[in-house]
Amino acid sequence: MSTSHTKAAEEFLKKETYARWHDNTFWGVRIKRDKMAHGLPEWEQLREKASEIKRHTLTHLDHYAAKFADNAEKNGVVVHWAEDAAEFNSIVYDILKSHDVKKLVKSKSMLTEECDMNPYLEERGIDVVETDLGERIIQLNHQKPSHIVMPAIHLDHHDVGALFEKVLQTEKDNHDPTYLTYMARLSLRNEFLTAQAGMTGANFGIAETGDIVVCTNEGNADMSTSCPPLHIAAIGLEKIIPDYDSLAVFHRLLARSATGQPTTVFTSHFRKARPGADKMHIIIVDNGRSEWLADEKHWETLKCMRCGACMNTCPVYRLSGGYSYSYFIPGPLGINLGMLRDPQKYSGNVSACTLCLSCQNVCPAKVNLGDQIYKWRQQLDSFGTANKEKKMICKAMKMVLDSPSVYNAATSSLSIVNHLSEGLVNCGLNPWAYGHKTMKFPKKPFHKLIDGLEKED
Amino acid sequence: MSRESILERCRRNVKEQYPMPVLDDIKALEYDDPWGSFLEMSRSMGCNVLEYGEGESLDDVIRKAYPDAVDICSNVEGVTIANMNPDTLLNPSALNGVDVGVVQGVFGVAENGCVWVPQTMKNKAVCFISENLVILVPKGQAVSNMHQAYKKIAFNDYGYGAFISGPSKTADIAQVLVMGAQAARSVTIVVTE
Repeated sequence: MSTSHTKAAEEFLKKETYARWHDNTFWGVRIKRDKMAHGLPEWEQLREKASEIKRHTLTHLDHYAAKFADNAEKNGVVVHWAEDAAEFNSIVYDILKSHDVKKLVKSKSMLTEECDMNPYLEERGIDVVETDLGERIIQLNHQKPSHIVMPAIHLDHHDVGALFEKVLQTEKDNHDPTYLTYMARLSLRNEFLTAQAGMTGANFGIAETGDIVVCTNEGNADMSTSCPPLHIAAIGLEKIIPDYDSLAVFHRLLARSATGQPTTVFTSHFRKARPGADKMHIIIVDNGRSEWLADEKHWETLKCMRCGACMNTCPVYRLSGGYSYSYFIPGPLGINLGMLRDPQKYSGNVSACTLCLSCQNVCPAKVNLGDQIYKWRQQLDSFGTANKEKKMICKAMKMVLDSPSVYNAATSSLSIVNHLSEGLVNCGLNPWAYGHKTMKFPKKPFHKLIDGLEKED
Repeated sequence: MSRESILERCRRNVKEQYPMPVLDDIKALEYDDPWGSFLEMSRSMGCNVLEYGEGESLDDVIRKAYPDAVDICSNVEGVTIANMNPDTLLNPSALNGVDVGVVQGVFGVAENGCVWVPQTMKNKAVCFISENLVILVPKGQAVSNMHQAYKKIAFNDYGYGAFISGPSKTADIAQVLVMGAQAARSVTIVVTE
C-alpha cells in the first residue's frame, strides 16, 4: 500500500524534535540561497545560460569529451574511460596497485558513492580515508550520506561527539563542534601525510584546457593532492563543459545555490601533476549517462551540477530526511536519477513529491525535476510498479466520471459517507486516506449549489 | 576501447542538437570600486586585511599579523623572516605544523572575495597545510565578477591555480560554522604596493 518512501518517512518523523530541526535547517539554507540570488540582478539570466550551455554540451558530448581527454593527455595526464561502475573500480584499483598504494585519502565524490568504490577497494586491502569532515563522520559511523552537500546532516553534535570519543579518543562529553572539528583536523592531518595517493572528484572538466576543477570549503581536495605523490581524479561524463567562460557562469551559480555562499573557499584548477609527483590520472565515467541521453523525456536531468538546492527547498525532503529515499541520492534529484538508473528498483521514491515545483524554480541549471517526476509517475504502469489499489480506484473513478448520470447520482449521495465511522473510510482499502483526515462531504454537490445561487440572482 | 564505445553512444543517442549560447551579453554585476569592494568582501569571508604602516617592511607586516609565529614558509622575494622555502623542501610533509605560509596572489574578485593564487612554488602544500596563510595582493588589482576573473587568469608551467576566499571552513557538525577545517585556520590579505 504505502511506498518505500512513506514507510521510511514515518520512522523519520517519530523523532519529532530532530525532524523539526532538519526542516528548519534546510529552510534556513534555502533562505540564504534566496538572499544570494536576489543579490545578483542577472541571476535568472545566469540560470538560463547555464541551462543552455548544458543542453549544448550534452548534445555535443562526443566532441567535448574527446576534446577534454585529448587536452588532458597533452598536459601529460593519463586519461581512462570507464563504461560502468565495475570498470571504474577496477581501473582505480589497478592504478593503486601499480603504485603500491596502501592508503588512499579522498575528497568528496558522489561518483565514487555511485560506483560503491570504497568497499571494493577495502575488500582488496586498501585503506580508504574520506577527508571531507561530513564524509569522514559517516564513514566512521558506517553510514551513507543523507544529503549530497551536507552528508552528515542526520547527526547532531552529541552523536558526533559520542562517535569521536569512541574512535578518536576525544574528551568525554566535550561535544563542542569547534573542538570536535579541531580533533578531526588533527587526525586527518596524519592521514594526508601518510597516504600514498589522493583522489578527488570533479565539479567541472574543462574541454578547452583539459583541467579538472574542484570546489571545497575545507581545502581537503587540495590537501589530498598536495601531500601524497599520486593524484587520481574521477569525473562523470556530464561534468564536462566547454571552456572558462562557461565555468564562470557555473561558478557564480554553484555555491550560491548550494549553501548560500558567494563562492566556496577553494576553487582549485588541476592541469597536471605537481613537480616530483607521479603522473596525474583522470577517469571519465559513463555508467549509464550516454544511454540516458536517448531518453527524450528525461535526458535533461544530466544538466544537474549537484548543488543540492532541490533537496534543501523540497518540503518532502525536509520532512522526511535523506534515508527515506531508496536511491543513494535523495530529494527531487535522487528520485529522477534513481528512475533513470533502475525504475523497477527505485519507483518507491516517485511518491515523495507534492508537485509544488519549488525544486525546478531554484535549480541553477533549470532541470525540470518536478515535471519529470510527474512524467515518471505516468510511466509506472509500464514498469509494473503502479500501486494496484490506486489503479483499481482510478478505473472505478473513470466509470463514474465518464457518465453524467452515474456522476450525479454519486455526488448527490456522497454525504452519506459523513455518517460512516472514520475507521471504515480509512480502512486500508483506500490508499489516499493514509495520513489524511477524511473530509466532510457537503449534502449538495457543488454544481447543485451553483444552480441555486444563480437562481437567487 | 571504452573511449570509442562511449563517444559512439554519445553521438547515436542525441535526438536534437542545441547551439552554444552567447555569453557576452550577460549583464553581470559591476562595482564602482572593485578594489574597495573586494577588500570589504574579503573581510566578510573571514579574512584579516592589512596594509603597510609608515616605514614598515613586508616582514614587519607579517610579524604584526602573526607576532607569535615561529615557522614561516615562503619563497616570495622580500620575506626575509621566512625560515623555510617551499622550493627547497624535498617532502611536503616537512611543512606540517608551519605557523605561517606567505604566498603571492595576483588579483581579487569583488563579488566573492576570491584571490587568484597560481602555483609559484614547488610544494603547493604551503598554501593549504600552513596553520595561517598570508596572501599578498598588489594594491588596486581586482575585478568585479567571475566572468572577468576567468578571462584574466593565466597558468604557468606548474599547471595549477586556485581561487581562495577566506580561511578553510566547515559546518558539517550540526551546521555550526567552524573556521579551520583541513587547511589554513586564518587568512590575512596583505596589500602590497
